[in-house]
Amino acid sequence: MQPFELVEPGTLREALALLDADDARPAGGATALMLMMKAGVLRPARLVRLAKLGLDGIELGASGELRIGATATLRALEKSPLVRAGWPAITRALHTLSNVRVRNVATLGGHLAHADPHTDLPPLLSALGAVATVAGRGGERRLPVESLYAGYLETTLKRGELITRVDVPALGKRRAAYLKCTTRSADDWPAVGVAVVLDGERQTIFVSAATDRPTRLASADAVDALEIEGDLHGSAAYKKQLIRVYVKRAIHEARSAAG
Amino acid sequence: MKRAAQPAETAQVGRSVPRLESWLKVTGRAEYVHNLRLPGMLYGKIFRSTVSHGRIKRLDVSAAQAVAGVYRVVTSKEVRELVPEPYYGPAFHDQPILALDKVRHVGEPVAVVLASDPHVAEEAAALIVAEYEPLAAVYDEVEAMTSNAIVHDELKPAGTFPDLKHLKGKANTNIALDFHLRRGDAAGALKGAHRVFEHRFRTQQVMHTPLEPLVSVAECTDRTLTIHTASQSPSFVRIEIARLLGWPENRIRVRVPFLGGGFGAKLYIKLEALVSVLSLLTKKPVKISLSMEEQFFTITKHATTFRIRSGVDRDGKILARECEVWWNGGAYADIGPRVTQKSGFTAPGPYDIEHVAVDSYALYTNLPPAGALRGFGIPQLVWAYESHTDMMARELGADPVEFRRRNLLREGRPQATGTVMRDAAIEKVLDRTADLLDWKKPFDRGTGSVRRGRGIAIGFKACVSPTTSLAAVSINADGSCIVYCSTVDMGQGSDTAMAQIAAEVLKVATESIRVVHSDTDVTPYDMATLGSRSLFHMGNAVRLAAEDAVKKLDQLRSETQLPADASVKDVFRKRYGMQAGNVLGTASFVPGYTAPDANGLTDNATPFWMVGASGVEVEVDTETGRVRVTRLINVADAGTPINPRIVETQLSGASIMQLGFTLSEKMEFDAEGQLRNASLAEYKIPGFLDLPGEIVNEAVVAEQRSGPFGAKGVGETSTFGVSPAIANAIQDAVGVRLTSLPLSAEAIYMAMQKK
Repeated sequence: MQPFELVEPGTLREALALLDADDARPAGGATALMLMMKAGVLRPARLVRLAKLGLDGIELGASGELRIGATATLRALEKSPLVRAGWPAITRALHTLSNVRVRNVATLGGHLAHADPHTDLPPLLSALGAVATVAGRGGERRLPVESLYAGYLETTLKRGELITRVDVPALGKRRAAYLKCTTRSADDWPAVGVAVVLDGERQTIFVSAATDRPTRLASADAVDALEIEGDLHGSAAYKKQLIRVYVKRAIHEARSAAG
Repeated sequence: MKRAAQPAETAQVGRSVPRLESWLKVTGRAEYVHNLRLPGMLYGKIFRSTVSHGRIKRLDVSAAQAVAGVYRVVTSKEVRELVPEPYYGPAFHDQPILALDKVRHVGEPVAVVLASDPHVAEEAAALIVAEYEPLAAVYDEVEAMTSNAIVHDELKPAGTFPDLKHLKGKANTNIALDFHLRRGDAAGALKGAHRVFEHRFRTQQVMHTPLEPLVSVAECTDRTLTIHTASQSPSFVRIEIARLLGWPENRIRVRVPFLGGGFGAKLYIKLEALVSVLSLLTKKPVKISLSMEEQFFTITKHATTFRIRSGVDRDGKILARECEVWWNGGAYADIGPRVTQKSGFTAPGPYDIEHVAVDSYALYTNLPPAGALRGFGIPQLVWAYESHTDMMARELGADPVEFRRRNLLREGRPQATGTVMRDAAIEKVLDRTADLLDWKKPFDRGTGSVRRGRGIAIGFKACVSPTTSLAAVSINADGSCIVYCSTVDMGQGSDTAMAQIAAEVLKVATESIRVVHSDTDVTPYDMATLGSRSLFHMGNAVRLAAEDAVKKLDQLRSETQLPADASVKDVFRKRYGMQAGNVLGTASFVPGYTAPDANGLTDNATPFWMVGASGVEVEVDTETGRVRVTRLINVADAGTPINPRIVETQLSGASIMQLGFTLSEKMEFDAEGQLRNASLAEYKIPGFLDLPGEIVNEAVVAEQRSGPFGAKGVGETSTFGVSPAIANAIQDAVGVRLTSLPLSAEAIYMAMQKK
């Protein structure tokens, strides 16, 4: 790993200015970033630490939506009584997201912007209809979490843009579930992640891990049409079987879940 | 000290003494080589081959050398100036300190960058450019038998083992060693058998994954070389470095503090030759610490193919068994030839079979080298013969436990080599496993998509022979005692066990004994800490040395004409006029051994047998093939335990390690011999969430009469039965039989679809 500059701005404006440079990268908890730097995949000259921007709030909005600051840690989300009361599927997903040491420092913004399809919250937040607020030097824009992803480790964020907040609409009468399946050890990256939100007869299904980004499934029967590649987690045929089984099980879990 | 000292009159042996080093470890004060920093020390970073077999056409280190902060870049050219024949290895002198002319596996060390900042060394190593002329490569162990791709131009047996000498200079072969055993007439008996069964099994290449990766530091003066290393075999390191340098052994000192796991990865010689040469070239201390990724390219466990054929009579008695085993040794032999022979002769299993034939081959391939890993080849063999035995029982409609009982090798009967079984509680271990598994009781077979099954498997191992251990025990003028031995405590609890043995003889509290760690300037010779040999061999040496010390103290007491109950302090005071002096008891222990004859037969193959069985209950998800081990029973003959708690943790630890090799661990290579998963993110060892719901460990009541206080080794015993027991349970649950490890969910699911 080569030497780098570490800066800790106190305002969003400063942070955006510091990020508007070649080889600058934002750092939330940096749990994924440091691994990529150690492996030589990323060689940033400057890391802009976002911890002091005051963006770590977790609160209810006027319409009953959950407003999560981008630098809230995954552990804070997991422990939040607000989240547990209103969106218990998020709390459940967090229990098995990586491990407690990672959750203690990893942030929601970093988790989403990393764009690794094996992570747990992108499919679940996509299915829940969550919306991200993104700030750039030109101002703010809002886009569904579903639209954040362009491909494997690729987002639709532009250079110098930061996720600052994520709003999750109130669950209401909807029911949600997220299930993942690992094929080697329990702490492995999942081979398949499935998020399901049921709104009466309407099913919203997102598949991830087996796909290069969280992918909306038109129905439970649409698995065959998915483009899946085999890898060390399993062959394409096997992963399709896992998706079929886990979609069925996630729907069942959502139906029987309290929320 | 936080431990309460035990009164000396308490029996020391048979007591679950807490580990003597626990307090140091949990407070972060235990010494590890990883923490060692010496003044002026350079860090070495290895530049490694990116091809599996090739001639080095060009090696350009100029860009690396030009990086600010780089002290020096070293290639095989400089190594050769210091060591003209820079090849090392315990069985063959085949492994170059840095690649010479050719590379033979991906990840082979080619050059080293030295810098006082390890990050600078790493950055610079990435700037080295190598060009290779590709050579034909071979990866599969069975193909290596006949392949035109030849890994080594000629075989170079080390000469350490007399029975390998005839291989010297042999060319155009990848067979490092072939071992053959013939007893009776297996081919003839198979012809006359009522039923004949033949199966073929495979095991995958895996890695030891010690959480402390390999690390060595060397420092030199004009006349001496000190190596601080995480090694299981300090005595061997000294011998081998002395040979390479042409120095007498007394100019080389090898020090080993605690190890963060070994499992066979840190045996013989690994980084020690390289850091020694680098230190001598630079006249500075040099340290190399491998990353977890680099360990995958350094030492691994043999992948194997095993063809097994058995004939039974009408009563279900096994008449004959033929075994052919191919061991994938990778590019350098390491200890593979020993594995091939010393484990090979147990390939027919713990069964009383009149006619046996074994052919066992150590093969060179263009993969990272393979050596010994917790079981020394035995888990690969048990995997095959206990899957095979179970398949036979099911085909014959016999109860798998009863079928085994009918054929079991019993006390006083000859094993395949002709060596008569003594102190091997095979039947007791099998019976106890079946009892703990409630084998005879009704079993809930599950419903819906969850199907349940259970399986059992038993294996045995002959401890490697002949090997030597020496020990010394000092009684100081104040009565306190020190044990000097070169056994390495790598987490298995040997310090505590040796202290217990000495304390029992010296009639003092175990906690009051100090065990000095391996330091070849101080502690006497020991073959190595491997193959569950230390408790038996070093335990006997420590016992004898303690007895020798007591004898010498008694002599001193009688010389001073003090009464028999005079204290130790009084004896020394009387003899030397003040608190001064000490007595030093010494001993060596070498068990008897008879080398096998041309047919692989011997009347004394081993000093003791280890016996281990596992019983499991599993749940299989029929929609995904996922397996959950809900219950794991490990039963062993460990003789009479010196420390029952340590025996228990060794049994559970070894079985959990084998659980990983059974269900999830596999080094995945592509068609060019490139490793695709050299990281803990993609090579998955079991975590706490993968553990069976219940693990039961038990050592049966037994005695190894030749062992120290009836004990024998136990570090590997519960690796034996785990893999086949799980495969047997999967068949019991869902009716499919897997013959290749690991037993992945996908393999199970796909096999179920074909049914």
